[in-house]
Amino acid sequence: MTKTRNEWGLFAHDWAVDMLMRHIQQGALRHAYLFTGPAGVGRRTLAMRLAQAIQCPTPVAAGVPCRTCRVCRQIEAGQHIDLMVVQAETEGGTLKVEQVREVARFLSLKPYQAAFKVVLFLRFQEANASAQNALLKTLEEAPAYALLMLTADNPEQLLPTIVSRCEVIRLRPASIPALTEFLTTQGIEPTRARLLAHLSGGRPGYALRLSADEQALAFRSETLDELRELLSAPVRTRFAYAETLAKDKETFRRTLFVWLSFWRDVLLRVAGSQAPLTNADRTQEVEALAAQLSLAQARTLTEQAEQAIERLEKNLNARLLAEVLFVDWPKLRQRGN
Amino acid sequence: MSQALYRKWRPLGWDEVVSQEHVIQTLKNAVAADRVAHAYLFSGPRGTGKTTAARLLAKAVNCLAEDKTRRPCNQCAHCVAVNENRFMDLIEIDAASNTSVEDVRDLRDKINFAPSQGRYKVYIIDEVHMLSVAAFNALLKTLEEPPPHAIFILATTESHKIPATVLSRCQRHEFRRFPLSEITRRLSEICRAEGIEADPEALTLIARQSAGGMRDAISLLDQLASAGGKITLETAQTVLGTAASQAVIALVQALIERNAAAGLDEIHRALDGGADARAFARQVVEYLRGLLLIQLGNADQVEATAEQRAQMMNHARALPTADVLRAMRAFNTAASDPRGGWSPSLGLELAFAEMLELPKAEMEMVTAPPTAARHSAVPQPQPVPARSEPVTGQPAAKGAESAPPAVTLEAVVKAWKQAAARIKTQDINLSALLNSGKPLEIREGVLLVAFASDILQGKFNRPENLELTRNVLREILGVNLPVQGVVTGGKNALPAHIKPDGLVAAASQLGGEIVDVQ
Repeated sequence: MTKTRNEWGLFAHDWAVDMLMRHIQQGALRHAYLFTGPAGVGRRTLAMRLAQAIQCPTPVAAGVPCRTCRVCRQIEAGQHIDLMVVQAETEGGTLKVEQVREVARFLSLKPYQAAFKVVLFLRFQEANASAQNALLKTLEEAPAYALLMLTADNPEQLLPTIVSRCEVIRLRPASIPALTEFLTTQGIEPTRARLLAHLSGGRPGYALRLSADEQALAFRSETLDELRELLSAPVRTRFAYAETLAKDKETFRRTLFVWLSFWRDVLLRVAGSQAPLTNADRTQEVEALAAQLSLAQARTLTEQAEQAIERLEKNLNARLLAEVLFVDWPKLRQRGN
Repeated sequence: MSQALYRKWRPLGWDEVVSQEHVIQTLKNAVAADRVAHAYLFSGPRGTGKTTAARLLAKAVNCLAEDKTRRPCNQCAHCVAVNENRFMDLIEIDAASNTSVEDVRDLRDKINFAPSQGRYKVYIIDEVHMLSVAAFNALLKTLEEPPPHAIFILATTESHKIPATVLSRCQRHEFRRFPLSEITRRLSEICRAEGIEADPEALTLIARQSAGGMRDAISLLDQLASAGGKITLETAQTVLGTAASQAVIALVQALIERNAAAGLDEIHRALDGGADARAFARQVVEYLRGLLLIQLGNADQVEATAEQRAQMMNHARALPTADVLRAMRAFNTAASDPRGGWSPSLGLELAFAEMLELPKAEMEMVTAPPTAARHSAVPQPQPVPARSEPVTGQPAAKGAESAPPAVTLEAVVKAWKQAAARIKTQDINLSALLNSGKPLEIREGVLLVAFASDILQGKFNRPENLELTRNVLREILGVNLPVQGVVTGGKNALPAHIKPDGLVAAASQLGGEIVDVQ
């Protein structure tokens, strides 16, 4: 229990925590940080901890927030007066230029009660081009009392001029055994913890969110069951399925992600790689399928699922998209069971 | 909070600016000869010294030093004021935040007041590409004839977004990316001055990662230095997310051996070891580029130790050039694809799996014989011409039925002037239209004429005009060739392969966006 969490109460990213703590201790804090990594890996949590670490009036040690005082709790809740959280209205929405201009106004005044004014941009890849451009000057030469933090999936999604002005901290998923162990200490039973660790691909935030969301797990196994049936079904049945699928775009999108994870597993096994599977509970199924497919087929299926996700976002006709996918799926003979 | 190194080490004098001599020398001479222009445009990639040069110029024109060649002196009151960011007559405008025409009007209202401290009022407009069109236009008059005490310096990374009318009013200077050696030199200079211990290999790695941008390089150095202790190649690799070069070599080896399992495991091992998927993909591309250079006989351009070079030679021999090119393309997509939030490794895995398949052209060649056989099997009744027909007959037959007159585009182009002259006697407006249009191509028996704007194209496409042009062309060339106007080059231009009257063209005129072409 003692080793599973580091000084900032996080389970992973020890190197990043160490580095940031050293920045605070040596007074070498940068004015802008960019945290990147896949969603649910802990970007926001780390940024919040950094904000707490520099604002906390009663730190446990230099650079270690107490996380119990009023300020720390206010920051955790996003309510602190010298903290501004900027994000697109909805996930997948757009962060607009007006919001960035508001930040410039926010930063033009000195901090109200704490030592710093902290601005946290969440999912900054959702900012449109003019919003990103509007931040450039602020980001380059922010006032001495300002700390800007950005989170994004990966630096390539942002303007290169933004990235070069920030200190980039690339957060990586944890290893699957380590995450399994951590989840077990959180009171999740071991087999379930293992499944969650695999499903999340080592992203602790995502795993915890999943564990609280029975529906998402049920949706996944349902989708995979349907996938198995569809593979041996005639085209007519598949098209009927496509029709129902296309009715709700959000469900379709989630289905595509499940398919993508499944086909990737198949790809790994076809190639003979022993890398951990995402759908660890379906290992047998994956291996049986892998025996029937060639590497080229598995790759095409994976790539098509990935492209479909992108195309769905570009507002293509959902039903057509599903049908095209189904036509290209191989027809496999039903297995013995 | 300490100041970031790239802000602390912004050059304060001309001689500190490295390897942009073509710009710096010009500016220095202009200051020395008192021939400073009233408007400059600095363009170039990020981190190449645009803002720095703009501030230096602002300082130099206001410097109080007697000797003009020594300006900026960094000692007089004005220079010190600029360095401390409190000089009243240096006005830095962030064009990305102040994009509107109101902001420019505000500037125009204030510019007529004489400078309060120095000789010149210098306006540095940074990120100028973000100004709105109206704002640019509002700036035009002021930019052309500013009051004698005003100097404009516009800086941008994207000079193609600047209207031509603005470009022509400015003296333009292009900044170049820094060569690797310059960056490493500057980095070691900073290391010495800041008391940072660093391995030369680590500095080279930083310089390579920064792709010619000094700010990127210094930021990275800053980041590494902040971890404390000596900067070794290993710490640099951890923080930058680059994999050890063995991982790259092992991956290429797996590629050559066509060993799927080994390749994918290698990818996972590298990523588990802390490499960033995109950085890893870029390293692979870099390595492949080295192989390509060796294959093309440019081995001296490859920067590597003798041992690595021997290894690369082996790989270069084992992997055909076509495969190297294909792999570079595949991994480059993996490195620059903005997608892939779901699983960082997916792009790499797909790229690698794709490489193990036969290339498209080869696959078609393999599958070609059966399809040819099937084709020739169909016209069984007349067996004699069947052998040659399926291969060459298909396109020829199509051409024969859709383009009865065998007229080439060159002939039309030659006859174009003549046609315009002939039409002049009947319809002078159409003749003028013809002169502004250009025969583009003959597609399916229809001559496409390119116009620069949709207004011209609309005028040309009136039935009576099309009819007249067609008649005149028939008189000259002796063939019946229908004509059709299309728009090229303008805002609504279509890619060349799209039919101007098709569904895709209609969708694109309604604001559609081409996602993918299959």
